Amino acid sequence: MATLSLDALSKTYPNGVTALHGVDLIIDDGELVVVVGPSGCGKSTLLRMLAGLESISSGELAIDGRRVNDLEPAQRDIAMVFQNYALYPHMSVADNMGYALKNQGVPRAERRRKVEETARLIGLEDLLDRRPKQLSGGQRQRVAMGRAIVREPKVFLFDEPLSNLDAKLRVQMRIEIRRLQKRLGVTAVYVTHDQVEAMTLADRLVVMNGGHIEQVGTPMHLYDQPASRFVASFIGSPSMNFIEARHADGVLTLPCGTHLPLRDGSPAEIGDAVCLGVRPEHLVQVSHSDDTTLVTEVELVEPLGADTLAHVRLDGQAELLVARLDGAQHIAEGERLYLRPDPERLHLFDPQEGHRLAAPETAS
Amino acid sequence: MATFQRHRLTPWLLLSPQLAIVAIFFFWPAFQAVIQAFYVQDPFGLGRAFVAFENFTRVLGSAEYYRALGTTVTFSISVALGAMALALLLAVLADRVIKGAHGYKTLLIWPYAVAPAVAGVLWVFMLDPELGLVSAWLGAMGIDWNHQLNGGQAMALVIMASIWKQMSYNFVFFLAGLQAIPKSLLEAAAIDNAGPWRRFWTITFPLLSPTSFFLLVMNSVYAFFETFGTIDATTAGGPGGATRTLVYKVYEDGFIGYDLGSSAAQSVLLMLLVGLLTLLQFRYLERKVQY
Ligand SMILES: Nc1ncnc2c1ncn2[C@@H]1O[C@H](COP(=O)(O)OP(=O)(O)O)[C@@H](O)[C@H]1O
Ligand SMILES: [Mg+2]
Repeated sequence: MATLSLDALSKTYPNGVTALHGVDLIIDDGELVVVVGPSGCGKSTLLRMLAGLESISSGELAIDGRRVNDLEPAQRDIAMVFQNYALYPHMSVADNMGYALKNQGVPRAERRRKVEETARLIGLEDLLDRRPKQLSGGQRQRVAMGRAIVREPKVFLFDEPLSNLDAKLRVQMRIEIRRLQKRLGVTAVYVTHDQVEAMTLADRLVVMNGGHIEQVGTPMHLYDQPASRFVASFIGSPSMNFIEARHADGVLTLPCGTHLPLRDGSPAEIGDAVCLGVRPEHLVQVSHSDDTTLVTEVELVEPLGADTLAHVRLDGQAELLVARLDGAQHIAEGERLYLRPDPERLHLFDPQEGHRLAAPETAS
Repeated sequence: MATFQRHRLTPWLLLSPQLAIVAIFFFWPAFQAVIQAFYVQDPFGLGRAFVAFENFTRVLGSAEYYRALGTTVTFSISVALGAMALALLLAVLADRVIKGAHGYKTLLIWPYAVAPAVAGVLWVFMLDPELGLVSAWLGAMGIDWNHQLNGGQAMALVIMASIWKQMSYNFVFFLAGLQAIPKSLLEAAAIDNAGPWRRFWTITFPLLSPTSFFLLVMNSVYAFFETFGTIDATTAGGPGGATRTLVYKVYEDGFIGYDLGSSAAQSVLLMLLVGLLTLLQFRYLERKVQY
């Protein structure tokens, strides 16, 4: 039970690499915050600074209002689940889980009771005497979780805990982590590069890029109103389509000649050139072309079952666009496809800087 | 695979120089020693007589032999544990060094390249009662050092020289063992409320146990057999037999006293002793170091 406050946290490694440039964030009690971003953007660095495994170069870190910058990991009352689980190979599952309690001086009987209780909670009762080597990947992952839970810490930290599991187990463990975290009500920070994992787990999502926070918000807020082209392309799968367009008097003109009137008129800062973003699911198939449709040719079809992804070519556009269509209908490669961008769901970005232009309000 | 199987002879051919060396310089002399142990031979090698177990009963009945056994036990335990403990300490320190680590490691590995006799002579110079630098310091501190007269000091000298020689070997293995321990384990332990001291004893040390076991076997063999050169160059078993270990006694009785039968019987006993020790180590310790 704790709130975390990060104030202008920065990290410069001894070799001169600056991995974080002033991160500000408040994490509320009981909240599950997911930090997501491409590899190398500083997620692990951030988490390790919270844990006390990396020193803080500048800025302030507080847990429950108390400055913890200079506290040892052990004094911060946090638990961490590592990507490779970091189970002690020479100890049984029970000893792995009880190690922290033992170090805290908890008497043997109570330790045993707590370990058994936690083992029941996460389904490890029958494995308590095994060594980590004798467990499957999923079971090891569970032990790592159990080791964190049994301590009843103020904060859980997770560094890509599911990335070594197969796809099915990943989905299963994701749901379980979410369920456990809500049940225990412990504040948690979860780091991943997988945006699907991020969206499904998070109370709030923090998108990072190159050591900066790009945007913070609920998953749906980030999906509906991405603050930048980076966030727009990172959140949502498949990624958002971007089309360089010209703008005049509240109407966008695309390279293929299509005209799209902006529903709420032009944003104040809009210039002559603009970057239009449309998600694959907001390209609607229509039967005939008119002034506001995109006339495209299908290059590649990916049937996913419920949906079908059509990769289509648009005149004057180097990259293929992706449209998410109803899986029930048959689409052939080489076919002509008329697509209408949903006028309620257009995103406008600055063509140079990439930030969101105060675009037409979206339903959120 | 098929081509390899057709040439069954090739591997043996490639191994043969090594096998020949082992056969000529190890198995043949060992075999000769066993034979010799059952004979008495006159000093000029002109004749010998079969005496069955008389050499053994003579050796096992002499107080000298048990004294040498006691010396060997003291010496071997001190050398094996001392060389391992110091090497582990240095390896732990070296493992933390990031800058200049390479130069530091090279310096620590050097003593291994020094011949045992040279290592011994080096220590004799430093501790020479008249000329030695270290003995002068000890004198200034009120310690009267003379290993040529004082049996305890002579023992200390051969132990130190032998430890110094073996430490670098142990260091290399301990350092490799330390570097093979994933950093995340120690980080997890740090988060799990374990301070540096506790982390070392509950995580690092147990995870090093396969390395420690291997080194214990190697160091025992070293202390029993390979310290001969060091002892011979420093104290030559003296003063008054204070540093006469079993292997040194084999040499003394055989090559100085010309009692070849007794010397051979002693070397057979020594082989049996070290074989037994190694067997015990494997039986009782090896099981504990698996994880
Ligand atoms: N110990 C370190 N020393 C120097 N640079 C590091 C260290 N750890 C990470 N970095 C650098 O910091 C940046 C962020 O790394 P990291 O936090 O691991 O990213 P992520 O977890 O998002 O993939 C990278 O450029 C990486 O090379
Ligand atoms: Mg990482």
